[in-house]
This record gives sequence, C-alpha cells and structure tokens, in this order.
Amino acid sequence: MDAINVRELSKSYKDVKAVKGISFDVHEGEFFAFLGENGAGKSTTINILSTILSKTSGDVKVFGHELGKDDNEIRALTGIVFQNSVLDDKLSVRENLYTRGSYYGFGKKETDRRLSGIRESFELDEIWNRRYEKLSGGQRRRVDIARALIHSPKILFLDEPTTGLDPKSRRIVWDHIDHLRKEKKLTIFLTTHYMEETAEADNVVIMDKGMVIANGSPSELKNRYSSSKLVWYTHRSQDAEALLGNMPHTYESDHYNISFKDSITEFLYANRNVITDYEVIKGSMDDVFLNLTGREMSV
Amino acid sequence: MKQFMGLTKRNLLVFFKDKQSVVFSLLTSIIVFVLYLLFLKGTFIDAFDSVLDTNEYLKTVIKEDDIEAFVNMMLLVGMLGSALITVPFNCLTTVVRDKENKVDYDISATPVARWQIVLSYFVSAALSSCIMTGILLTAGLIISSLQGGFYLDAADIAFAYLVVIIGSISSTALFMTFMLFFKTSQASGAFFGMLSAASGFVIGAYIPLSQFSEGVRSFCNLFPATHITIMLRNALMNGALERMDSSLGGMDGGVFAESIRESFTFSPYMFGNDLVISSSMIYVLAIAFISCLMMIAIYSGNYKK
Ligand SMILES: Nc1ncnc2c1ncn2[C@@H]1O[C@H](COP(=O)(O)OP(=O)(O)OP(=O)(O)O)[C@@H](O)[C@H]1O
Ligand SMILES: [Mg+2]
Repeated sequence: MDAINVRELSKSYKDVKAVKGISFDVHEGEFFAFLGENGAGKSTTINILSTILSKTSGDVKVFGHELGKDDNEIRALTGIVFQNSVLDDKLSVRENLYTRGSYYGFGKKETDRRLSGIRESFELDEIWNRRYEKLSGGQRRRVDIARALIHSPKILFLDEPTTGLDPKSRRIVWDHIDHLRKEKKLTIFLTTHYMEETAEADNVVIMDKGMVIANGSPSELKNRYSSSKLVWYTHRSQDAEALLGNMPHTYESDHYNISFKDSITEFLYANRNVITDYEVIKGSMDDVFLNLTGREMSV
Repeated sequence: MKQFMGLTKRNLLVFFKDKQSVVFSLLTSIIVFVLYLLFLKGTFIDAFDSVLDTNEYLKTVIKEDDIEAFVNMMLLVGMLGSALITVPFNCLTTVVRDKENKVDYDISATPVARWQIVLSYFVSAALSSCIMTGILLTAGLIISSLQGGFYLDAADIAFAYLVVIIGSISSTALFMTFMLFFKTSQASGAFFGMLSAASGFVIGAYIPLSQFSEGVRSFCNLFPATHITIMLRNALMNGALERMDSSLGGMDGGVFAESIRESFTFSPYMFGNDLVISSSMIYVLAIAFISCLMMIAIYSGNYKK
C-alpha cells in the first residue's frame, strides 16, 4: 500500500512560490529521502503533508486519507521532527513529553505505555528529569524524535535531523533511525542536504527551486545521472590512446581518467594484460546533483 | 478536555519555570516598593499631612499609626495595580515566542482544536496573574496585620480578591489582542519595557492622579488598569480611613475623610466628572468583553496557514 501520494502539489506564500506542482509516491515501510538545497521547498512540503500548512493546490493522500478533509486521521498517522527544536527549554524531558502526550488526549499512563520501548532504546532514562536546555545536541534530537513518536505514528517525517550535529551525534541519531526503520517498520520520510544520508534510501526525490528534478533509487539515479570513473596509472602513449579509442578520457600527471556509463568489467578483463595499475571510482550522488543542476551542492 | 488542560499546564510551566521572567514580570511592583522605601512613603505622608494642616484639632485626634497603616496600603495597592498589568502581559509573550520558534507548528500537527490553543494561552495568563497577584495580596494582608493597624472587614478582603481576579482576566483579554501584532519577541519585549515604565504612573502608584490636570486624569482613566487600581484602593484603604473618621466622632461631618479620598484618588474620573466606584467595574467589564470579541475575530483566522 502507498503511504503517501502527492499529485501536482503547489504552495505559495504571499509572494513566494515555494512548491511548484510536485508529484511523487511513498510506499509503506520505505525509507524515502528528499534531497535539496536551502529554500528548495523541503520543509514546506513536509509541513503540508503533516497538516500544519494548508496547500495552495494539488492532491495529497496519506494512507488513502485525503489531506484537507481527513486531517485528524492523517495527524494520527504522521509524526514530525522539525528542523528547529520545538520543545520547551525550561521544562524537563519528562514534562515536555507528558504535555505533548496530552495534546493527543493521553494521560501520563498512556504516554508512558506508548513511550516504554522508545525510552529504553533511545536511552532517555538517564536524562528523563533533566531540563531540555541542558541537553547536548544529540540528546535533544533523541528527545525530539521520541516526541514525534508519542502517538505511535506509521510515518515519521524528519526535517534535516542531523544538521548542526557533530559526526558522533549524527552517527548515534542515525543508529536510532535505522532501528525504527528496521524493527518498527516505520515509513521514514527524510529531508536532507547531505548526499551521503540518502545512500541507504529506497527512494530519493531531488528537489530544486520548488520542483522535483529527479526521482528514483540511489543506484538508478547514479546510473542515470552520473558516471563511474576508471583511473589508469600509466605513461601517456599512443598505444594507450588507441586502446581507449572514443571513450571520454583525459590525462593528468600520471594517469588517465576515463568515464563510462556501463559496466567496465568486460573492458578491464579484455585488457587485463595492459591495464594493470588502476582504480574504479563509482559515481556518487554528488555527481547526480551536479549533473542535474549544473552546480555543486552547497551546504 | 485533557488536551486543553495539557496546553494550559504547559503554558503555566513555561512561565513559572523561567524564574528570571517571573521576577521580570514583577519589575514595576519591585520598583514601586523600592521607591516607597526611598521616598514615596514620605510624599504620601506629606499629602496626608497637608489635609491635616487645615485643622489643628484633626492633628490631635488622628493617630500616627493609622496614617502609617493607610499609606502602607497605598503601597500594596500600587504594587498590585502594576502587577496586574505586567504579569499577564509577560505571561502572554509566550504566544509571540511560540510563533517565533514555530512551537505553534508542533501543536498544529496534533488533533488539538485551534480554539483550544488560543483559549489555553488566555486561561494560563489569567491564571498566572491571579496566582502572582493573589500571593502578593495575601502577603501584603498578612504583613499589615502583623504590624497592627489592620482595619479591613471580610467584605473588604473579599472585594480585594474579586478585583484581583477581574483585573487578571480583563488585562489578559486586552493584551491578548495586542499579542498578535508582535512578530518577534524582541518587539514584544520592547513594548513590555515601555509598559512597565509607564504603568506605575498611569495607575497613580507613584503620584496620586488627583495631582494632575483634568486632561491627564481623563487620559489615565481610559486604561482599565487605572480603574482596577481605584477599586483596590477602595477595597484596601477605606478601612483605615473609616477608622480615623469614626475617631472624629462625626464632628466634621465626614469632610476630612472626603478630602483624603479626593487627594488619594478613590474615584474614577471620566467625562470631566468624578464617578462612583461601580462605574469602574462596569467600564472594566465592558472593555474586557470588547477585547474578547476582538480576540475571537482576530484569532479565528490566525491558526490556519
Ligand atoms: N512562512 C513563510 N513565508 C514566506 N516565505 C516562506 C515561508 N516559509 C518558507 N518560505 C520560502 O519558501 C521557500 C521554501 O522554503 P523551505 O523552508 O520549504 O525550504 P527548505 O528546502 O526546507 O530549505 P532549508 O534547507 O533551508 O530548510 C523559500 O524560498 C523560503 O524563503
Ligand atoms: Mg527546511
């Protein structure tokens, strides 16, 4: 079943067209990533999907519920971790989570029951009574995610969850997200600036200036929009040039750079006696972005 | 109901857990208190004496202690009157901060009805104001009874608490409409600074309004807070005054008490006339009602984007 269907979704603020008629689908249980630079319209889109902002036009269905009609059903199914933290600094983790639980009509007991697993796996017990403002960046993120899971949603939106975190905290937050994805079969909808965070996604949508410019699995995108590179360490020679023929290539100080779209294995095997010192560099998502937009991704 | 209670509790916690902001919300009251210790008490007593000086006999009958009790209550009224402005306002700045930090987005993602969000801000600010000013009033009453010279009856005290409750609700309603126009907490903070500086003067906590020209008096009486303060003055200061009046045994026909009431401003002044105290009550309730209507009109469109 599809978790989310978006058709021709648009959103205009007073004088800014933030989202310009985008369409995509998210399957249940999928790890879905939204990749784009600042101002691409990522936050706007997920805020619409979680019923916070109203859309200007287009159709959105969340598990078959129509956005704009069945908003309360959608709210029960979606949890969101915002780009900027929205919990209260002066309140403890406990107070923050209990008050948020009450927004869904839960008493303390019910909130406890729903958080019991998360409290353990997210290691919240040791910071349970600490003020939110006293927590480290990584701890805060963990509490933010726990907040988003309070009502046991089926889809978790994560709006740039690791921006501003140090590498170690990023790793920890990612481990928790992986856990949710694999153990709880949660549908994860991630927005990010970081190419490498999309590597494990089942599906990636690349957004640029309010439009979807590419859509597919990371390997599909890499195959379609980037090329792998063979680095052959050898002297520049007529023979070598002849061997490479019309394959696009350049020579730098001590090696040839040869880019190719299809499998290089056969070529390497056929020339195994000539090409002995080499490296194969796989196409990256960075190349995909560069090829699609003609510019480097700025972070 | 659980949702509404949860929202209200959260707003209360946000306010009371921030000790700095709690102290800040009482800043004007603290200034009134400090100035009282420094010189306000002296000027109040001078004002009192200027009435006494009109008659040699009065000086011999009116006791020092009663005057002391009277001007101490003037202090309490000034502190309460300014707290009834600054506490609700400061508590309501949560509305602006929540917008700035997009906390309202988080609430919008839950099934909480939009009117509950607005109402919870209102109720929590009114409640924290009732709590803070209630504590202030109670502490003031206890201290003055310990000092001796406590001349309030149960009706006076009940009226004082009633005014504190009505004052909390009416200021909250009025400021609630303001809050929507502040886009940043910096703006609301700047306004708060202005408010806390001006409020002491407007309600006559430093200088009784009777000292000013008719124009200034009329202007100050536009603010419901001034009327609240006048009601508090009637509730808390009449006791001491009546005691002095009775010690005169009616030989001056009540002229003395009347001139004290006049110079310490016990009556609202509107449309060029001194009015009775019940007109203050009506005015305050009317402004609160209009504010509530405006609040509903403004906020109903506000939480859908
Ligand atoms: N409340 C608003 N009012 C007006 N314009 C807005 C508002 N929110 C966002 N925008 C504009 O809409 C566009 C998309 O913004 P959005 O926040 O969705 O981008 P984003 O992809 O999440 O960017 P970032 O990576 O910086 O978070 C931007 O041009 C932004 O300036
Ligand atoms: Mg964003």
